[in-house]
Order: sequence, then C-alpha cells, then structure tokens
Amino acid sequence: MAVSWLSRLAARARVPVFPALGMHGDTILHRLALTPGIELVDSPRHASILLVAGGVPPDLHEALRRLHDQLPAPFATLWYRSSPLSELAGDLRVDDPEALPEALKRLHRELMSGRRDSSPRLLPDEPPNPWEGLGDDGHGGEGMMGGVPYGRPMAMNMHDDIRDGLTLDSLTVTLGPFLPVLPPGLGAKVTLQGDLVQSWVTQLAPYPIALENVFHEALQRPVPIAELELARARHHLQRLAFSLRLSGLEHLALVALRLSRGLNVESRVGRLHRRLTRCGFFRLTTAGRGRLEAGQARRVGGIAARAAGLEEDLRSRDAAYRRLGFTPVVQRGGDTNARWRQTLAEIDHSLQLAFRAEQEDLYSEMTEAVETPRGPWDDYRPEDASDILEDLLPGLEWDEALTTIASLDLAGVSEWPLEPLSETSLKDDEERQA
Amino acid sequence: MELLTLLIVLLVALGAGLGVQWLAMCHQPMPTYPQRAPFLGGGLPETHAWNRYHVRYYPMTLLLIAFEMEMMFMYPWAVVYVEQGMKAVMEMGMFLAILSVGIVYGWREGVFKWQ
Amino acid sequence: MIVSELLLPVFVVLATLAVGAYLVGVIDGAIGAALGAPRGQSAWLAPLTQGAWLLTQQANTTEAPDWRAWRLAPALYLALAATGLAVVPWSPTLIPTDLTTSVVLWGSVEALATVVIFLHGWSANTLLALIGAYRYVALGLSYILISMFVLIGVALPAESLQFSQVVASQAEMWNVIRQPLGLPLFLIVGLGMTFWGPFNLADSRDLAGGTASAVSGPPRLVWNLARAAMLVAFSCVAASAFLGGWLGPWLPGPLWMVIKMLVVLAVLLLIGRLVPRVQPERCVTLMWVVLLPLSFIDLIWAGMEALL
Repeated sequence: MAVSWLSRLAARARVPVFPALGMHGDTILHRLALTPGIELVDSPRHASILLVAGGVPPDLHEALRRLHDQLPAPFATLWYRSSPLSELAGDLRVDDPEALPEALKRLHRELMSGRRDSSPRLLPDEPPNPWEGLGDDGHGGEGMMGGVPYGRPMAMNMHDDIRDGLTLDSLTVTLGPFLPVLPPGLGAKVTLQGDLVQSWVTQLAPYPIALENVFHEALQRPVPIAELELARARHHLQRLAFSLRLSGLEHLALVALRLSRGLNVESRVGRLHRRLTRCGFFRLTTAGRGRLEAGQARRVGGIAARAAGLEEDLRSRDAAYRRLGFTPVVQRGGDTNARWRQTLAEIDHSLQLAFRAEQEDLYSEMTEAVETPRGPWDDYRPEDASDILEDLLPGLEWDEALTTIASLDLAGVSEWPLEPLSETSLKDDEERQA
Repeated sequence: MELLTLLIVLLVALGAGLGVQWLAMCHQPMPTYPQRAPFLGGGLPETHAWNRYHVRYYPMTLLLIAFEMEMMFMYPWAVVYVEQGMKAVMEMGMFLAILSVGIVYGWREGVFKWQ
Repeated sequence: MIVSELLLPVFVVLATLAVGAYLVGVIDGAIGAALGAPRGQSAWLAPLTQGAWLLTQQANTTEAPDWRAWRLAPALYLALAATGLAVVPWSPTLIPTDLTTSVVLWGSVEALATVVIFLHGWSANTLLALIGAYRYVALGLSYILISMFVLIGVALPAESLQFSQVVASQAEMWNVIRQPLGLPLFLIVGLGMTFWGPFNLADSRDLAGGTASAVSGPPRLVWNLARAAMLVAFSCVAASAFLGGWLGPWLPGPLWMVIKMLVVLAVLLLIGRLVPRVQPERCVTLMWVVLLPLSFIDLIWAGMEALL
C-alpha cells in the first residue's frame, strides 16, 4: 500500500525525458524545453522516457540499441516522427508535435502506475569481453599488464602529452551520435589525457540541418527581405539557446527560445545581450580558445568566417540589401568569444534590416545565391565541416572543447526545407498547464 | 560528551544515507551488462576509465600545502591574537608576506593554468 | 540528561537537515519559476514527487565500480553535512554540540567534502564521472584556503574558535558590516563546497551529469539530498559567523537563525541560477589570484578591527 502511494506521487513528477536526436529532431526539443511538466535531462540514467525524435539512419541503430539499454527500469520509449526499431515494433509513435507533451506525460503515468511494463532490453546480457574464470584469480587479468579484467583492458596507450610532455595514460573512447552536448549526429573517436583532448577524429558527421523554406525559395524567386532576416535571426537564437543551456544559464536559454518563437520585426535582442554581458557569459565561460585559422574559417563560412575577420557576406552582392545600407558585421579574433559576439551582432542587425525592409516592403533581388545562416549557398549547399575539429580541438580541455563546438555551426545543409511547426499552440500549452 | 554526541550524529546520518539506499534497492534485480556500459552517447569505451590520470593542477597543490601549514599556525594564533596585540600582527604579516611571494611566483610560472 | 544531551541534539540536527533539504528544493523551484522556467506543478510538491520517483527507479551500476566507495559517498556527504550542522548554535543554550574548536571542525568538514565528492565520481569507473571528480578537486583544494582565512577573520574579535563565542562577539555589530569582504567570499566558498551554479565542475551538463551521470534511483536521491543538506549546513554556518546567529530583537533566537539561514540559502540559490558555469582553468586562476588576496585583505582588516 505504501508502494502504491509512492508510485502515485511519482506519477505526478515532472516527466524526465532523455532526447535521442535523429534527423531534424532538435526542433521539437525547442518546444519541449518550454513545456511545463517535462524535464529534458542530461543522462539516460536520469530519465524515465527515451524520446527518439527524428529518423535515425540505419548505421546508427546499433548505437541506439546501446543507448536504449542504458536507461534504468522502469522506462519506455516514445518515437517522434521516426520508425521504431524492429525489436520495438509495438512502441508508441507520435507524429503530431502538439500531441507529444501529453503523450509523454501519459506514458510516464502508465509506467509509474504499473499499467505499462518497462521496455525490454535489446542487447544480450553478456560482458563486452569474456572475463569470468579467466586469468590468475578468475578476474580476467594476466599479470601486471594485459588481459581484460572485469571485461575491458586497462588504459595503457601512452602518448607524449601535448602541453607539458609528461607521458601518462590516455583514454580512447568513441563519443556517440546521441550525446546531448554535441551537435545532433556528431560521432567522434576521442583520445583524452586527463581531461585534455589529445586527438579527435570525427567518425560520424552531424546530421544535415534543415533551413526554413524561405531560404530555398530565395534561390528561385524574390522573397520578402523581412521574412528572410527573421528566419536568419531565429536560427541564430536557437543556436544561442543551446549554448546557453550548456553553460548553465537555463533561464536565458528559455528567453532566447521564447524570443525565437514569437519573433517579429518589432523584437529586439538588446535586452538579452545586456543580460548576457551582466551575468558574465562572455568573460567567464567563453575563453579565448578555439581560434580558427583563415583557411578553416573560410571553409566553415557564415558566422565563424566573419568572426575571424573575413568580410564575406553574400548579402552585400544583393542590390536590395545595398539599398538598405547593408554592410557586413565582422569581429576580430576568431575565437569562441568572438563568434558569440558576432552571433548577437548579426541577430541585432537582422532584426533592424527586417524592420526597415518591412516598412519599405523590399524583396530580395539576387536569386542565384543566398547567404544562409549556416554559410554562403552559391553553387553548392554549405557542406559539413566537422573535420576541422581534428585540428582545432587537440590541446583544449573538455569544457573548452565543448563550448567551441557549440559556437561553431558545422553541419551541412539538407536539401529539404524545415517543416513549419505551428507557433500559436505553444501559448495554449503554457496556459493550460498554469 | 559532546564528541560522543557528534559521533552519534555522524553515525545516524551515515546510517540514514546507507539505509535509504539499501532498503529501496534490496528488491531490485542486478542491471544487465549493456545497462552497465558507460554513457557516451551511444559510443563505446575501449578500456576501463581508471588510469594514470594526468592531474594538471599538481603544482598548485604544492603551493596549497605551504598555505595549509600556515592555516594550522593560524588556528591557535586567532585565539590569542587580541591579547598579544601588535606582536601577533607582525608575526602573521611576515608569514603571509613570504607565502604571497610564493603565489606571485607560481602565477608567473603558470601554475594556475592547466598545464 | 540523556535526552537533553544526546537525543535532542541529534533530533535537532536531523530535523533541520530534512526540512532544510526540502526547502532547498522548494526555493530553487520558486526561483526557477520566477526566472522564467515553465510553471508545471506547485513548487511545494515538486521535490516530493521527484524524490518519490527516484525511490521507485532502479539503481544503476557500472561495469566495474568500487562498490564500497560508490555507495558510501552519498551517505558520507550527508554525514559531513550533519556534522557541520551539529556545531551551529541556535541560541545561547540550544547548541547540539558546543565544541571549543568548532571552526576547526567546520574546516575539516570542508576538506573531507572534497574527498567525498571525488570518491563519488572516481568510484563509478566511467569517463565522464572521472573527469568530473578530478576537475572538481582543483576547485576543492582552492576554496579551502579562502574559507579558512575568512573564518579566522571572524574568530579574531571573538578570541575563540567556538561558534557560540563568535555569535556572542557580534552583539554590538554583525560581522557582515564589520568585515564587509567576509560574507561575499564565504558565499563563494559555499557555492564551491556544494558545486552549485558557477562552480558546478563536478556534476555539470557538459559532462552529461558528471559524477552523477552513472547514478540513478535511491543513490541519486541520497546524493541530491546530501547536496541540499550541505547547502543548509553551510547557510547556518554563514548565518552564525556573519549575520549574528541568534541575535535580534523581539523574536526568539532559533527563529532568527531560521530566518537568516533562509536568506543565505535564497541568495546562494539565486546566484546559482544567474551566473554561468566558470571554466575550470579560469576558476582556479580566479580563486588563487583574485579571491585569495582578497581574503588576506579581509584577514588584515579583521585584525586591525579587533585591535582597535
């Protein structure tokens, strides 16, 4: 009886959801972060529901199975716009973004009350290497070094350390595609000595990002500049929200997300910028690391290039923009700090351009190329640039490496535009729960 | 007597912490091997995580030990400070000044950065 | 005598920790909602529902952890918080354990907290937890000095290392006014001790939960409770050392202590939400090059004040 009272209390808790992102899955996360009653957690061990958002390519299915089995019982899996794995064919699938929060909450309640069983384990219950009964004491070891004690070898790779030359153990791990702090889909083989990255080999490129339809249309016919600039500002605000959440500024991340949801030509980003400066985001968290060379900056394009001082912006080739008095904004430095300053400056610039363009009802005149928020789309779509991480990250400490990756927009652009999510229903979500 | 109370407080809190964990866990099954794998976003580790970890702030800890000895000196010093007056101020000032030179030297040598 | 000397102090300490830990959850939820987090359920219910959910979840293990240290670490952290709280005076007569060397005991609680947090991360034998543990130790070793200089500064006018004497010495003026640098520095120490907010190097988001990334269920509940309990114990110590403890007009002593503790707790939780996480290298440099010299100045100031 006490157990059921506890379960009833547990059913009313905020639903802890671990998001495993597939293609184009992060748009629903922006919505879920603002939904009351749902908590997006950092580790699958802190979750009761695994949300697979967006289609997962077949070569990542093994990693998904590994991730699925890492959640502690009782847990369930919910598939959003993605087809469930063959072993989990009976799982709940939801495709409507407005029905998702309610489905998550219902699933959690059913799990807690016992009406639904915990999801079955997919991988066999075997250690990664057989070790029981082997070796001198049955612990799998073979004397001083070697063997697989308790299933894995001990770390022994010894490379000279990058910073001070002291040779100690290095750990090599494969960071998977579902790590929430990396861009969705990025998988890499990392060698760390201590907490310093010694080498980084990108094995899985991040999923291509879907831009809003207006950027695809701009290559076919003139589009209203206001719409183009608002879409650009939205993209940058969502990237900023991700980085703010990584740095521990949850409330400012929500401010950025709310701003991006209700963005119109009257919005201003100055207040957010002042709050960021006052709380020390630029001085405390984004150190002068992750500096891009000119060649790397040009390869990444977009904000990273302009933050490194390269004054390249396709909008200056467009006559309509020149009529609005457009000049590219640049920073010097090319490090993480400069990139965030550049992002905020560009958001502000875009909003001002949108305001003036709306007043004068201007349309873009150049249709052979468009400056997307990810970079210039001239003859080819901006492509994935995640191999610059191999040169950029070694020598950075873990926190610095992750904030550097968060400040760079490395994924390629997908050939399909983003599906628009209806924006008015979010306010109903918040009002219904309050 | 007070130390006994303190010991009891410590033991009761320790017992409560262990008890909450044990009572709630004793009916649960052992997790499977795939569940026990470390969380790396779906990736795999190659080895166990325990290793000869490169602790980069080691030089800072040497400086810390010097200051720890000063702290040990300051505990009784604080109690007799007001009685002793200026003599106590002079002694502590000397000690602090010598150790501050150590901090400045360490700072210039980059001891406080991750080497 | 057994009741008043053994049972009552134990009861006072444990009741304060239990109620205090709950209030930490409530106040943190309220601050989060005020800052714009989506308002789901009432802040009073949220810690209870989350605790209930953690109790029903399966406890996770890893492939080859150090079992004893791993399961002991949260309980030890809780025990340290209880020990630290036991030396805090609630009124001139109600002190659970009135040691003559309470400041020294509090110093050892702070030092051992670093060990316990390191153990929690190291014993999981997982990369992210290990990184969290090791980089926290750098912070842990740095804040100890600042804390001790500040507390010695508070002990100087009291001519004693006993917290009850420290409070009694604030009868004319509280230490927060007499030694203005003391409380801000001590608050920073408190954030470091519980790795909260800007100093969350151990359990941070960029390590997918750090030392807690491999923990789930009841051990995670005890770990969170222990962190909250340490916040409560620290707030009580800060209230005694700087805000005059039980001193105050009209209301009884213990009630003043509770009010002051809640004020310090609210300030800590607010700073935890408002300031971003400091990068580890920058953190160590900040502690040694900026905050430690400030604590020297605080000590010299306190010394001059005590002599005049």
